[in-house]
Amino acid sequence: MTEGWPELDPVIHAQARLRVMVTLSGLADGDRLTFPRLQELLEMTAGNLSTHLRKLEDAGYTHVEKTHRRRTPVTYVSLTQRGRRAFEDYTARLEALLANRPDGGTGTTDH
Amino acid sequence: MSDDDPTAPRGSDPAAAAPAGPDSGGGPLSPAASLALIESERGRLLRRRGVNPAPIFASWGIAWLIGFGLCYLAAPGGPSAPLPMWAAAAVLVALCLAAMVVPVVQGVRAGRGVRGPSRTTGAMYGACWALAFLALATVNLTLARGGLDADLTTLLWTGSSLTVAGVLYLAGGMLWQDRAQYLLGVWLLASAVAGVLAGVPGNFLVLSLAGGGGLLALALYYALRRPAGGARP
Repeated sequence: MTEGWPELDPVIHAQARLRVMVTLSGLADGDRLTFPRLQELLEMTAGNLSTHLRKLEDAGYTHVEKTHRRRTPVTYVSLTQRGRRAFEDYTARLEALLANRPDGGTGTTDH
Repeated sequence: MSDDDPTAPRGSDPAAAAPAGPDSGGGPLSPAASLALIESERGRLLRRRGVNPAPIFASWGIAWLIGFGLCYLAAPGGPSAPLPMWAAAAVLVALCLAAMVVPVVQGVRAGRGVRGPSRTTGAMYGACWALAFLALATVNLTLARGGLDADLTTLLWTGSSLTVAGVLYLAGGMLWQDRAQYLLGVWLLASAVAGVLAGVPGNFLVLSLAGGGGLLALALYYALRRPAGGARP
């Protein structure tokens, strides 16, 4: 999937999941977002979103919590500590890749 | 097996669990495209969940410029009155209440669908405003009834309300690490002091022109500084 960029986390390096990660990383620590609100912010279909969320959950990046509030089922989604760190690593690597770009990414560091 | 989410809104077809294949975003992303996507998503989020300081400052600025301006014109020692003092004060209070609604609306919009610590903080902070102004009104009304003269009563109300509002904005700035809100608090405190030092009809002029003018300048600053909001759809 990440043919040219093996150093990029394949779980995050896909448009839909990257968008999910950006949105969830915007939450304050300990906050959760309801599934419908996340869906609305991303403008994704419910099915598409849950498919991608499952992949992120399998990697331990997101936490999906299903509870009931006044007998109505509610689903909350949040980023795990691990997910937050993975997203930070991902963006750091992107920036490093782009910084080495000008000469096609030779490994040399100039002093 | 509770396999698909029960909260999924109407029209979610049972094919929900279909393989991600084609909708994972069409083609591999290059690092540059990926970084651009992150930026544009952050911009989108800022517009939909973020707090925009410009309208907050602008509504306060307008309230003060017009409200305190009318009070100055109507004050006993001031120029000829186009309207009675009570009417000017009523306009001021109405405009200030309207200005307080703006951040509340933005906060509610930002907090929609969010659960957790920040929601509790927001609710407690909102209650702060109500408690503080309830206490303030009780104290001031009691003091005024105790025989304070009209000029001192005026200074008491403007000075104390602006101080309380200023301190609450300082607290809001600290809670959300929001420099704009903190700055607004500082400006309200400075205006409260300057107004009381200026004495009675002059205090209204200070609050209207310096206070309101400063707030409008801040609004303009934030309107110009705010990023265009990322890529368009």
